Amino acid sequence: MTALLKIDGLRKRFGGNEAVKNVSFEVNPGECVVLAGDNGAGKSTVIKMISGVYQPTDGKVYMNGALLTGKTPEAVRTAGIETIYQDLALADNLDPGLNLYLGREAVKHVLGVPYLDRRKMREDAAKVMLSLGIVVPDPTAPVREMSGGQRQAIAIARAIHWQAGIVIMDEPTAALGVPEQREVMALIERLKKQGVGIILISHNLPDIFAAADRIIVLARGVVAGERRPAETNDEEIVRMMMGATL
Amino acid sequence: MTDNTVNGSNTNIKPGGTSFVRSLLNAWSWLFLILILGFFEIYAQTQTGSTLLFRIYNLQAISIAASQILLLGLGLTLVIVAGHIDLSIAFSTGFAAVVMALIVRTAGADADWVTVILAMLAGLGAAALVGAVNGWLVAILNVPSFIGTLGTYGIARGAALIVAGGATVSIRNDHTRAFGNGDILGLPVPLVVAAVLTLVCHYLLKHTRFGAHTYALGANRASVERAGVNVKKHLILLFILSAFTAGIGGLIYTSRFSAGAANAGEPILLYAVAAVFIGGASLTGGQGTITGTVIGAFIIAVIQFGLVFCGLPPYWQFVAVGLVIIVAVLVDQSKDRLMGGKS
Amino acid sequence: MKNLIKTAVFAAVLGSAGAVQAQDDLRITLIPGLTTDAFYITMNRGAQAAADALGITVDFQGAEEFDPVLQTPVLDAVIGRGPDAILIAPTDSVQMIEPLRRASEAGIPVITVDTFIDDGKYQDGAGDGDFPFSYIASDNTAGGRMAARYMANQMGGEGKVYVSNVRPGISTTDQREEGFKAEMAESFPNVEVLGTQYNENDASLAASQFQAVLARNPDISGVFGANLFSALGAANGVESANKADEVTVIAFDAPTSIVNNISSGLVDAAIAQHPAEIGYYGVMTAYAVLTGNSVPVSIGTGFTVIDANNVNDDATAKFIYSE
Repeated sequence: MTALLKIDGLRKRFGGNEAVKNVSFEVNPGECVVLAGDNGAGKSTVIKMISGVYQPTDGKVYMNGALLTGKTPEAVRTAGIETIYQDLALADNLDPGLNLYLGREAVKHVLGVPYLDRRKMREDAAKVMLSLGIVVPDPTAPVREMSGGQRQAIAIARAIHWQAGIVIMDEPTAALGVPEQREVMALIERLKKQGVGIILISHNLPDIFAAADRIIVLARGVVAGERRPAETNDEEIVRMMMGATL
Repeated sequence: MTDNTVNGSNTNIKPGGTSFVRSLLNAWSWLFLILILGFFEIYAQTQTGSTLLFRIYNLQAISIAASQILLLGLGLTLVIVAGHIDLSIAFSTGFAAVVMALIVRTAGADADWVTVILAMLAGLGAAALVGAVNGWLVAILNVPSFIGTLGTYGIARGAALIVAGGATVSIRNDHTRAFGNGDILGLPVPLVVAAVLTLVCHYLLKHTRFGAHTYALGANRASVERAGVNVKKHLILLFILSAFTAGIGGLIYTSRFSAGAANAGEPILLYAVAAVFIGGASLTGGQGTITGTVIGAFIIAVIQFGLVFCGLPPYWQFVAVGLVIIVAVLVDQSKDRLMGGKS
Repeated sequence: MKNLIKTAVFAAVLGSAGAVQAQDDLRITLIPGLTTDAFYITMNRGAQAAADALGITVDFQGAEEFDPVLQTPVLDAVIGRGPDAILIAPTDSVQMIEPLRRASEAGIPVITVDTFIDDGKYQDGAGDGDFPFSYIASDNTAGGRMAARYMANQMGGEGKVYVSNVRPGISTTDQREEGFKAEMAESFPNVEVLGTQYNENDASLAASQFQAVLARNPDISGVFGANLFSALGAANGVESANKADEVTVIAFDAPTSIVNNISSGLVDAAIAQHPAEIGYYGVMTAYAVLTGNSVPVSIGTGFTVIDANNVNDDATAKFIYSE
């Protein structure tokens, strides 16, 4: 099975500082890869190079075999990679439908004049949320009235609706209470079942072990090691995060 | 197979009861408008034996005053929804008024319709220029809009005074006079112009992608950026729009009074801002509607007219408008509290 | 000549007051330039005195700033109320023409007091603002000339002076400035009149403008304040610069504070108008119109020069504007 996403020899230098030296890994469909590492290990830089926010100094990114490096964030999104940042980038005052479609709103025409098709957007949002196991009681209510887990779900719903092949999630459970953290884990399971490949950034050990199919530990800009959760334990992961090599 | 729970926790939020309360709170400004109309009508009938509501002249006068406030407030509503503010509209109005008057005056007393229209376009261009400068300051140079537009407030004021030579620029033209003081289908022209602009801005804010992005900008700029929208361009357009509607106010001013005054919009600025906030906007952005601004403008116009009409000391209008603004903020806050916010 | 006109009006009014007694439920509204100025408050006093004498009602309604944008909505509401006549001090000679025309077309006679619209010459068939029945005010041009003569005499016929004014377009202050400059040019050629400073009725701006003029012209010897705040502001500037002895300050208008200002030497003289008379004759003229009489198209009230010599006299006291 060819990898959905392939990262080969990524390097990023900011002036005199080499934040990422040489990172390579693959992500397969329906698989959750956790990028683990301490602060400053280079996790966000790698993600930003994948999503097009940064241009790599060296190295390549392939999606479904096609070269993705050097494209704009919009092009990367169109290619099927959806990035969910920690703040979720939701507009709290808008309903789930408008959030789902933000930037690509559905429009209907009445006598040639374009109008936002709010109903379609709401219905689509409700449908997608349902596929993630969540019933939206009032689809006209602004997103700020929802729980943390539900808001996370809307962010993920965006990925599903626009048929992302890869979803990147940056610390999705930070700032969430325990029940909501479990909700997010369940959402990730459902995503995997739909064949989506997930890259999760985390330095929270319980999350890492709960979600990962494979754990890739970054330390000081290089891959310190790659393990399956069953093959390793907390201590080894922490040691690798601290910089002890394979 | 659907279920309401994910891993055992309940993901439903309280439905039902809150949406009635929400509708009531949203409608408070309507109720208030009806209340003060009722108050003044009763006062007028019982104390002075005349009627405020049932004379066309009165309704027209109130509508024209409201139109003046609206023309400054319409574009401003979008700017405030996006989380910014535009103080320079006070002098975008005057700048447009003065430029239009200067061209009409230079063309001579018998300037024809074409010249008048060109003069108006030039006035609008002057206002749009101020808007573009605001857009550049806020979007490109990242100057906070309060400070940036405070600067252009001064620059537009100076520019208008310089162009006008310090005085008001008086004109004599039958076309402009008819435009400013005449009727279309029985309604005063300023009212019709304001009504058309209101419909356009309402459509823009509520039914277009531009409007949806404007609301999103006010709530979370990052969300719009990540969605791939060109936020800088959007902001520049917003500020040009607010200067544009203010500029139209300036053109109407020059036509009504046969003179372009640099400070034509200055006393109206605070009323326009008040109208937008009475209409439900929030200082941090993301809230507000055109309908709300319309009601806010009428509330202020009715208070102003009603007090003088009933022979009450006009200073009460400042107290009244101030109180209404405070009530607006309190209603806004209780709406938030009732809705629960983020859990 | 002015006295003759005044007497004639008075007589006509008394005559008609006797003849038509059933008119005592008349209501006239006086709309001042602004409601917070002692000049207009005193004018209202005179108007109320006339109202009492005639047994009618005079309302006082206005904006709190001298600005046509603020005066127009008040005027609109007053028109809506439908008084029998409107006395108004228009805040702009051009911009108030259309709003006042609405009053005239609604059948409400308009009389302007203090300031005028258009050219100030009404009922002569010329101009857009021809419809008011009368213009009642001090002869501001003559007042400006008076100020010029007094100042020149104080300065010994030579020196540098300037005019501190509000903004162009207000008929009264424009005329005072005109009169002042004309008199200086005609009768006192050795007095140099520098450029006018406009202060938008802001006394503190007038004060800093004086400082600026002084900095450029250390030998400045006179300031003419074309209205109250202009004079106060300039006088303040003179005082902070410690130039009260060298600079002659002439003010137009005389609020209660002027007594102190003149006694202390801050202001050398004030040209006091008679606003109470303006208000009084305004109401009388309106009454005359409403009772079917013709009225003179202009009535000029007089001035009193108040200076250190007469500031404490009883006779002068009644010309000081009270609040």
